[in-house]
Amino acid sequence: MASPCELLIDTTDKQLAGQLTALAFFEARRIEQKYSRYLSDNICSKINHSHGKSVIIDDETYRLLCFADSCYQLSDGLFDITSGVLRKVWKFDGSDRLPHAEEVEALLPLIGWPQVQFDQNSVTLPTGFELDFGGIGKEYAVDAVSKRCLELAPQVSVVVNFGGDIQVTRPRVNKQAWHIGIENPETEGDALRLIRITRGGLATSGDARRYLCKDGIRYSHILNPKTGNPVTDAPRSVTVAAEHCIQAGILATLALLNGKQAEEFLNQQGVMFWLQA
Amino acid sequence: MQLNQRNNILGALTAATCTLLGAPAVSQEAQSVEEPWKFDTAILYYGESERVTAVEGVFSATKDFGNEHIFNGKVTIDGLTGASATGAVPQPTAQTFTRPSGKDEYDIAATEIPLDDTFRDTRVQLNGQWTQPAWQDYRVSGGLHVSKEYDYLSMAVNGALAKDFNQRNTTVSLGLSYAFDSIDPEGGRPVAFASMPLKRDFASEQQYQDAFDATRLTGSDDKNTLDLLLGVTQVINRRTIMQLNYGVSAVDGYLTDPFKMLSVVNTQGLTQALVYENRPDNRTRHNVFWQTKYAMDSGVADISYRFTTDDWDIDSHTLDSRLRYNLSPNTYIQPHFRYYQQSAADFYQPYLMASDGLPQFASADYRVGEMTAFTLGVKYGVLLDQGKELAFRLEYYQQDPKNPGFDAPGVLQDLDLYPSVKAVMAQVSYRF
Repeated sequence: MASPCELLIDTTDKQLAGQLTALAFFEARRIEQKYSRYLSDNICSKINHSHGKSVIIDDETYRLLCFADSCYQLSDGLFDITSGVLRKVWKFDGSDRLPHAEEVEALLPLIGWPQVQFDQNSVTLPTGFELDFGGIGKEYAVDAVSKRCLELAPQVSVVVNFGGDIQVTRPRVNKQAWHIGIENPETEGDALRLIRITRGGLATSGDARRYLCKDGIRYSHILNPKTGNPVTDAPRSVTVAAEHCIQAGILATLALLNGKQAEEFLNQQGVMFWLQA
Repeated sequence: MQLNQRNNILGALTAATCTLLGAPAVSQEAQSVEEPWKFDTAILYYGESERVTAVEGVFSATKDFGNEHIFNGKVTIDGLTGASATGAVPQPTAQTFTRPSGKDEYDIAATEIPLDDTFRDTRVQLNGQWTQPAWQDYRVSGGLHVSKEYDYLSMAVNGALAKDFNQRNTTVSLGLSYAFDSIDPEGGRPVAFASMPLKRDFASEQQYQDAFDATRLTGSDDKNTLDLLLGVTQVINRRTIMQLNYGVSAVDGYLTDPFKMLSVVNTQGLTQALVYENRPDNRTRHNVFWQTKYAMDSGVADISYRFTTDDWDIDSHTLDSRLRYNLSPNTYIQPHFRYYQQSAADFYQPYLMASDGLPQFASADYRVGEMTAFTLGVKYGVLLDQGKELAFRLEYYQQDPKNPGFDAPGVLQDLDLYPSVKAVMAQVSYRF
């Protein structure tokens, strides 16, 4: 998951805590190995190296593609899992190395979710296209793990925290809320504010660590698939609370993609959110 | 994406999420948010040897409406019967007293401490409390209290604000409460230091009634109580939590006990008259409370100390300790020891000397006199499924009034003016 992953378990049962931790570890690793774009020999790699041929997919992958499709439709194309190809030229390493405009434009023909064809059994990508589950994979893993935890221990409150993407499975026994700190983008490690959460999902999107900076302009790692360029004037960080972590994650990302209108967008959704300008 | 055209995508996103995760959208929400009501019930028997017997039932219901929005409602009903000390001293001969209603008399045998055995009352108390988080890191709480017994009505409101600091290891709280009490005792409130009339001293019923009525004020009287509490709770380490509170309480109004009297005695210690007591009409009390709880592998140790001081000169020290010891994963035993000591109010007098004339204030009520008390008890609890708990408590309580330095005249030297009060408490409680 390329980030610290932790579970907080509200129990005094050491054995149960051990079981939950093991369950979480294996489920998270399973999802990472299946969908990480950095690994070869997984379904993601197979799809991305299919050269226009159809690739057989399982039910889980089909559901993820359906979800990605919904996000694309709901965002009028702003959320597009084929846009990961832009990372070939955009390296968000905190430096000032921006790609040339031609480099970016050359990639635009390789982006466009509507050109991906899929059904329950297979997916077909145009040659040169790539799918990147990075925008939903970690949040999906959080939800999948918390679902497993809830099945194993329906009476125990568990916080699943994968690098700031969080799901709380149920309220704690003593009725207290979990206190989750939102990191200050400027000073890593310091909690900017504490959020009380009794259950549900929480996700943060922002450029705390991944950005480029040139001539005083900060380029967020959120890329607009239509232009191939980073979103400008977006808040530095957006945290959203929703029923499920993955919903919160999508809303946070879409808020950033709306740039200046991030706050307006979130207000329209009627969810709890916290912005860091 | 144009904001004006596309407003809320949350509904569609929720549907997509549920398809992805295979989770039904609504039922899961309803299932996990809806917390059931929790009930605490208890029945307590309190019996003093030869004095008051009380039975108290408590029914408390708590509900978490989600996100720490908690309501608690509580009904307490107690019934009291028996005899309570009047404040009069024992005598070497039998004594006759007029009951507070004025309608009847009772006799107390020679050398016996005078007790009024008409003590009989039922009290109903209702409490409602709402607690919820507010702003960031604050909790607010507000409550109402009503208590009614035959001759007494009490109404109170309270509010509290608590803030967590230091990653919730420190909590600072501020509480304020106001109570209004109204009292309209049986037979009316006695006139301060009025002499108790006895029927046999009067030629006719009418003459007696007129004399009795002259000792009484009509209508009710009231008192106002304002309490302020400041508290700090600090987590010391994984096993220890400590609490320090300071409270100030100001009461203004009718603080006299209408059923208490004093014997006026001569130099031989013989009673010349019985007069109704009179206390100041205000009292300001300060208290400091310190508590530490320590979690052990096999239980919890809880020790607390309270100091109070007031402008009636009553200073008290309370040391309370409980040790919960887990006998098994679902049973525990909890011994309890409490020690209490108080000094006498400046107006406390076990009797009045006929030669001294009447003071401004005086009470012979042993509860405002010097005393020590201790409680020794044990509780046994069984934890059942789903947070249910059944517990039994048995305690012995003894109050030992002391002579704060009066030289008893004559016959009073041979009589027990400061008898101990011994009581047993038994309680069964069930949480479900």
